[in-house]
Amino acid sequence: MSQQPQPNGLDGLTELEALAMDHALGGGSRAERKAAELRLLSDPEFRAAVERWQVMLAPLDDVTPGIAPPPSVWAAIAAEVEPQPRLAAALPAVAGGWWNNLGLWRWLAFAGPVLAAVAVAVLVQPGAVAPGVPAIVADGPALVATLADADGKPLIAAAFDPANGQVRFAPVAASDKATGGTVPELWVIEGKNPPRSLGVIDIAAGRSQTIPRDRLAGLKPGVILAISIEPTGGSPTGAPTGPVIATGKLSAD
Amino acid sequence: MSRPNQPFTTGSTELAALLVRVADGDAAAFQAFYDRTSAKLFGVILRILIERQESEDVLQEVYLIVWRKAATFDAAKASPITWAATIARNRAIDRLRARPPRAQVPMEAAFDLVDDGPAQDAGLIHDQDARRIAAALSTLEPRHAAAIRACYFDGVTYDELAAREQVPVGTLKSWVRRGLIRLRDLLEGSQA
Repeated sequence: MSQQPQPNGLDGLTELEALAMDHALGGGSRAERKAAELRLLSDPEFRAAVERWQVMLAPLDDVTPGIAPPPSVWAAIAAEVEPQPRLAAALPAVAGGWWNNLGLWRWLAFAGPVLAAVAVAVLVQPGAVAPGVPAIVADGPALVATLADADGKPLIAAAFDPANGQVRFAPVAASDKATGGTVPELWVIEGKNPPRSLGVIDIAAGRSQTIPRDRLAGLKPGVILAISIEPTGGSPTGAPTGPVIATGKLSAD
Repeated sequence: MSRPNQPFTTGSTELAALLVRVADGDAAAFQAFYDRTSAKLFGVILRILIERQESEDVLQEVYLIVWRKAATFDAAKASPITWAATIARNRAIDRLRARPPRAQVPMEAAFDLVDDGPAQDAGLIHDQDARRIAAALSTLEPRHAAAIRACYFDGVTYDELAAREQVPVGTLKSWVRRGLIRLRDLLEGSQA
């Protein structure tokens, strides 16, 4: 790297590297910072350079004394990020059962293996189990997903029990997107593959639905579940044809 | 540098695990992450903005970004606290830049390019990386080190620093960039 001073201040640096240093250090004007932020969105090389400088400079923060913020700050943040309880309270029509409790579904997601086994026992309904499948076998953790609409509003909680292939849905909030002559259809999206149908579902009932064994492969933590609105009987093409009303990631403990 | 230069302490691992849960919408994990990081982030913001109410607003904004963007955290690139503190610095500097010129909080000390950082801060340095970068900074040309500190800690612009030092902006940028390159070379040298 050249150490000769130059009028433009580049000192032999590439423009990309110089601007990355400026942005990481923060000395640019408002307009320069806005330009850099736009570039971060579209230029991976620039983003990587900025991140390298940020990581190098970060230990400097160690000398800045920590100062506890007043409790009002957390109260304001919590009010923004925990709308679920208020949503549920505002919707008595769907607040009909223990399953309409997002906290419980979240709890299932993070429960340890022992708790997961209990959860599976609760989820399995006697008589709905396919022949030959033991009713209470946790050969995999229960998987759960919270499916939210495009604005991030949670609509549906889903729990999948790998032991018997059952999926159960709990409405978190009412959606007015489903209308007469249409049905919701569940899809799984694994990586960059096209959505694969898991069949037409009945969200409102809160009942267990069994997914055919041949479609179970790939239902693992990290895949995306999506629900689209399709003509009665399901998508005629094998791919979603109607609007996608909710998506969510499947997760496990 | 091909890897983060912060060692992954137990604290980092715990914070990273919390962020994974935050990305899944776990409000309890989010509160735990806030409890462990908010004093540090508030310190970073307050040092730049000085004004307390504005700093509280920015802190709130920063944690809402953390809540929404937790899934974008990449442990291969930075430690959780670096990731969060970088968001905080950027938001605080952007807020500072958005102030109307007359509303600037007086920052005489920030403009005084005397490199008094390491001595007065030494007692607070506990992390090995922090000691290394402070030591490296202290070997730079004092005006270069002071300009880097003023930008990083106080959010001062190159234009303000150049006016204060009565040098062209290009010269000021050259100081800073040469200082940063030297800093990087020193840190990479001491890592080997």
